[in-house]
Amino acid sequence: MKVYHQTGFRYKWNIESFLNGVGNGLIYSPINIDADKLLALDVKLKHSGFLDPQLYLLYEAKGTLDTYPYFPGNIKPDFATPDLDNSHIQLAQLCVDYQVQNNFEYLIIPSRYYTDNPTTFFSQSTDYFVTPFCDYIRNKNIQKKILLSVIVKTIMLSDEEKRNEVLNWITGHQNIEGVYLILENNFTSKQIKDFDYLLNALKFIKVLKDNQMEVHLGYSNTEALLYSIAMPDSVTIGSYENLRSFGIKRFQDMEKSQMRAPNARLYSSYLLQWVDYEYIQAMKKLMPDYANYFDDSEYRPLMFTPEFKWHFAKSEPYKHYFYVFDRQIKSLPSTQEGRIEELKCKIKNALTLFKKIENEVLLDENSDGSHLPTWFNVINAFQKELTK
Amino acid sequence: MIRDCTIIKELPQGGQKIVHLAEHSKVGKVVIKEGTIKSFTSLERIKREVELLSELESDFYPKQHHFNIDVKTKKFEIVEDYIEGKVLREVMTEFKTTKEIFTLFNSLIKGLSVIWDKNIVHRDLKPENIIIRPNGMPCIIDLGIARFLDLESLTKTISPMGPCTPIYAAPEQLANNKNLIDPRTDFFSLGIIVLELYLGVHPYDPACVGNQFSIVENIMQNKYVVETDTKKRDGVIVELANKTLQTQPYERFRNYKMLNAFIAKQI
Repeated sequence: MKVYHQTGFRYKWNIESFLNGVGNGLIYSPINIDADKLLALDVKLKHSGFLDPQLYLLYEAKGTLDTYPYFPGNIKPDFATPDLDNSHIQLAQLCVDYQVQNNFEYLIIPSRYYTDNPTTFFSQSTDYFVTPFCDYIRNKNIQKKILLSVIVKTIMLSDEEKRNEVLNWITGHQNIEGVYLILENNFTSKQIKDFDYLLNALKFIKVLKDNQMEVHLGYSNTEALLYSIAMPDSVTIGSYENLRSFGIKRFQDMEKSQMRAPNARLYSSYLLQWVDYEYIQAMKKLMPDYANYFDDSEYRPLMFTPEFKWHFAKSEPYKHYFYVFDRQIKSLPSTQEGRIEELKCKIKNALTLFKKIENEVLLDENSDGSHLPTWFNVINAFQKELTK
Repeated sequence: MIRDCTIIKELPQGGQKIVHLAEHSKVGKVVIKEGTIKSFTSLERIKREVELLSELESDFYPKQHHFNIDVKTKKFEIVEDYIEGKVLREVMTEFKTTKEIFTLFNSLIKGLSVIWDKNIVHRDLKPENIIIRPNGMPCIIDLGIARFLDLESLTKTISPMGPCTPIYAAPEQLANNKNLIDPRTDFFSLGIIVLELYLGVHPYDPACVGNQFSIVENIMQNKYVVETDTKKRDGVIVELANKTLQTQPYERFRNYKMLNAFIAKQI
């Protein structure tokens, strides 16, 4: 299973980390990197990776998105939805050409985003994106694998009719090799603790794998570990929370809205949890062996010095996470059965460690591993599904 | 061209068409189909079928020799190859072993892949539309209701059922769920044919399933048999049924390459 860097704001951290041997490639984010700058990047940063075209909202020119030739506003000023009728072929050509110019590993067919998908969503997506993209790629005889971007809304996991509709649509395209799958996350907690959601997500991925499709899971957080038991082809590592959880806000111009700075957090592969630095400080005072609860990396010595000023904008905790999580994913057994057993074992170990910590330090629900019992139960339920 | 033909005999009618077996001085035995165009839709369907057959250079389909429409009388005439052989319905019992069934199935997939590659779905696969030539190779006939996925659909959205032969139709055809029609729709019909060849009865036959419903109702409820009192289940046939006779297309083989890989393992 591969690990891609989901890049965004401060994508240089990802590039540095990748050049340091972490991850298999990068997924580029047009709102954060100028089109020409991306073209000028060294090929070795692009041949194993791909572009997320980010046409989720056709009219929002957030960040550097409008520097891309295929951005609708560059095709026609004041571009509106009806313009897609006349411009979809041109848009597909420009978008494919740009991706080919960069020589990415995969070609990506974009997806639009709606809060509530209209009833014509799938037929329109086929007409405006899938068909013109595939036709152009075939006519130009471009020999690259094609991935279809799909945003999976919560209702597509919970509602049988919606789930059937989206799965029939995805698997109905004969010319694509796989999907760039994005599970929309509307949960307010930092970790997903919804049993049904997680189990349905696993089942969804499994259907696609049963259809022999490549599944590349975008915007993954630590749930990537759990999703790994459905055998996807890749998961992602991202720095800020909005790169580890898909929300449309990231693509909207919110200049006037107030952003709250999050507390810095550190990931532990032993605890399967990001832990708020304030608790790490408390552990430091109260638990002599506190460092053993966290992984070693080239960044750890610095972070654990008394002088280190924890701040969400510092690179070390993220680079540490990239390194640790990439290694953790790569160390997973290659078989489904092996992964399931190993993950169950890791969860039990993590729960034991949390018990020890909470003898000394009480943690809140975003640092205390309270998602782990749900993970364990979901794994058991999924395991049962596999034997049906 | 019809003027150069000598009618030999009338053949069983196909739909609204009058069909004759005839002899052409140069081409040999041919089939002449004549009929009246009832609507724009039927005209469009005939045109599409004729255009497709005339461009197909494949022994899996009859060759098209002539097509004409008389705008005044609204009559059409088609001349195509007469296919020597027997309709599969008549020779079903000759396919006794799983190997024989899979060999035929393999040939059918090869033949159908010719149209699937053109984004066309046959939509009316049944034993009556497959002719087994004397050399054992199948010829697929009657593309009259084929769905051309790249062209506009001719099926009315309000129709309760899409064009099909109901007892060989996939659930999405029976429910007229037009958006779901793709090659997997044909996989479903092929699944029924294979199971029928193996069992000797229609797998959704209520007498076998053991209920009071019709075959069509059983298709809609996904109730079929993989064994009968006289025919024991076969693991491979069961596996094939599991990957073709599912209500949801995503639970079937995704494409014919997957289907080919499955068959290759069996023969």
